[in-house]
Amino acid sequence: MAPKAGGGRADAGPAPGGRRTLSLGAAVALLVAGLVLLVVLSTSIGPEPLPWEATLAIVLHQLSGGRLAPTPCPGVAANQCTIWVEIVWDARLPDLILAVVVGAALGLSGAGLQGVFRNPLADPYLLGLSAGAALGASAVYTFGLDPAGRAFVLPAFAFVGGLVPGSIIYLAARSGRSSPQTLLLTGVALNAIAAAILATFLLYNPVANLSVNFWLLGGLEYASWSNEGLVIPLVLVIGLVLVLRAQEINLLQLGPDVAQSLGSDPRRLTRQVVLLTTVVTAAAVAFAGIIGFVGLVSPHVVRRLVGVDYRRVIALSALVGGGFLVIAWDIAQVVIPSVVIPVGIPTAFFGAIFFLYLLYRRAGRTPRGGPV
Amino acid sequence: MNDGALSFDRVTVRYGDRVALRDVSMRAPPGEVVALAGPNGSGKSTLLRASVGLEPHEDGAIDLGGERLQGLSLRARARRVAWMPQEEPPGDNLLVPDYVRYGRYPHLAAFVPPTPRDGVAVENALRLSGADDLRDRYLWELSGGERQRVRFARVLAQEAPIVLLDEPTAHLDIGHQLDLLERVRSIAHEHRTAVVVALHDLNLAARFADRIVVLHRGRVAADGVPRAILSPRLLSDVWGIASELRYDAQSRLPYLIPRIADVPPTAPSPGGPVRPRVHVLAGGGSGVELIRRLVDSDYSVSAGALPLFDSDCALTEELRIPTAVEVPFAPISAETRSRVRAFLEESEAVVVGAFPVGPTNLANLEELRGFARPGTVLLLAQAGPGPWDFTGGRATEIRSELLRRGATEIRTVDQVLAELASRLPRG
Repeated sequence: MAPKAGGGRADAGPAPGGRRTLSLGAAVALLVAGLVLLVVLSTSIGPEPLPWEATLAIVLHQLSGGRLAPTPCPGVAANQCTIWVEIVWDARLPDLILAVVVGAALGLSGAGLQGVFRNPLADPYLLGLSAGAALGASAVYTFGLDPAGRAFVLPAFAFVGGLVPGSIIYLAARSGRSSPQTLLLTGVALNAIAAAILATFLLYNPVANLSVNFWLLGGLEYASWSNEGLVIPLVLVIGLVLVLRAQEINLLQLGPDVAQSLGSDPRRLTRQVVLLTTVVTAAAVAFAGIIGFVGLVSPHVVRRLVGVDYRRVIALSALVGGGFLVIAWDIAQVVIPSVVIPVGIPTAFFGAIFFLYLLYRRAGRTPRGGPV
Repeated sequence: MNDGALSFDRVTVRYGDRVALRDVSMRAPPGEVVALAGPNGSGKSTLLRASVGLEPHEDGAIDLGGERLQGLSLRARARRVAWMPQEEPPGDNLLVPDYVRYGRYPHLAAFVPPTPRDGVAVENALRLSGADDLRDRYLWELSGGERQRVRFARVLAQEAPIVLLDEPTAHLDIGHQLDLLERVRSIAHEHRTAVVVALHDLNLAARFADRIVVLHRGRVAADGVPRAILSPRLLSDVWGIASELRYDAQSRLPYLIPRIADVPPTAPSPGGPVRPRVHVLAGGGSGVELIRRLVDSDYSVSAGALPLFDSDCALTEELRIPTAVEVPFAPISAETRSRVRAFLEESEAVVVGAFPVGPTNLANLEELRGFARPGTVLLLAQAGPGPWDFTGGRATEIRSELLRRGATEIRTVDQVLAELASRLPRG
């Protein structure tokens, strides 16, 4: 039988390597369905728990303009039902959709950065991109730069702030200092510098202090449909561009010299990917603060599912990142009864545990071993 | 004009202050394997890297198929020249065909899926490189030899008219080395590919390359067909090693044997025990094992008379054993006879191998009969089994006489060594 030309091993099944992989279509369908279900069910979680049948009916009711589920909350008083609809549709769903988009942005960023730096521990948070973006965005709050509160100002400042660590990391990698250790330590230093400046900002304007602090830890509460109108198209477009560049990222895994000998330009590719990930990370940070480890964890989960082809890894990391952040949102609702904690807290907690696992699992095996 | 050749015209490459290539001119035409030889750090890898545009050159010109390297886009270069570096990151998790398919990248149009043509190229590459049976495997599962075949397949999938291989045999055992280079050679010849292969083993280069370019400190030290450039002089100039040039009897190809120190092995080691002298009368290969074992057992061996080009003679020359040598198919001359006599007189033992005796070498036995020093141990190999005496009975006659005079008949080399050990005390 003639083997398939191109296209990868879409039908790989159980490989002799012992690892089962899913086809891209199946994986996307599975993840999208799971994500939608997760988001809808999550609207029942919060300081005011709602029955999940009701929230499901409310979402269907609102989406279909009342044609489906004409009575979304049976057995409940009409005014109570109105409140439920407001909680689900106007309060929780925007937050959750922002969680999906921000998670997707961070998942994309992590996959792109891990690809171009050939470093399984790369992550926008660990490398200091998020801190730089947060610094840029907090300048807007601290100095009251945008009294009109326009949606694009915050992400624009965040982007400028993220460019500084982005450029430093790009230059470090270009000069050949791109070992996992060096990159991570560079990130540590950049994070420390950003934290120092940020602390100064906060003391400069103590009035802004409280809300900035909450936002920095990953607050999705600033979500509004107008913010999402900006960030959703941005994440989709940049995700698409990254997926289109993914074949070159694949080549780069053979080393920059081999990639160049095959007709790719590794430096240009790395520049572009660092720039694009800085843009989406900045957008994520502008609306949801610093949320760490989503970019680290998602690509690893995806590689387990579908192998190492970056076309898949990047596309699916967005979906897995979105799901990860929704689950973190759910946890944030229920950790302290009647208090919602910032979503960056559970992601940091579980993400850092996963980070330690990666670190020590990597240390414990031969460099040639199986999947990372 | 795209003639598919790689050519360097007075190219200089510098790393900071260090000159890696100086004024290098060379050419690799289609259908030829050019071996790039030279010691470590001589510029082999730099030349290959410069050919794919990975090292910028200051002076001179590098042409790929008749066009300047700098004038070509990265993709256009990749369609003309394929490069296999010495080392590559492991690429752990890829299935072999997925990895090989990366070689098609320069042929893929943006945003268009691969065509059947790409699939054919991958199939051909897997077949030509001998990686056909590895298509279900992951890269990280492969042995060194398999891995090298798969990397070679990736380079072949590129279908470039120029192929550059940097030390492809470096980590391979001899069997895999020969297999890989045999494939390289047949691809170059059958597909009219210009192949440049960096090899540090000059003998391997001589065996597989149509031409050898030797680099020394970034310059071309020699360039030509193996037969023309292989010489002990080259090895000592470039590698600083003393060597001897020999020719392989089967392939007629030259090869060099390095010598660690230029001391004849038969010279007595000063202060060591006295080594008993043993003279060997043999011929036609009958003495090969005998002479080797005697030398190994630390006897001071001499031999002859032997005809030049006889296999025994080749051995004694190789081991630098004093030998009375005679022109082939000629009767032993008076001069050679006197050398044989001198050897016999100096020897404490004489061993006669089982070799056919004819009119030309009968003189050996005659010398032995005339030589009657008492106390010399005389060992005669058992005659036969086939006819051996082509002298009308004269050789048989001499043999019987020697046995009557106390010579010992022996059957095996082990017996010879046992006999000598017991009768020639060392001290």
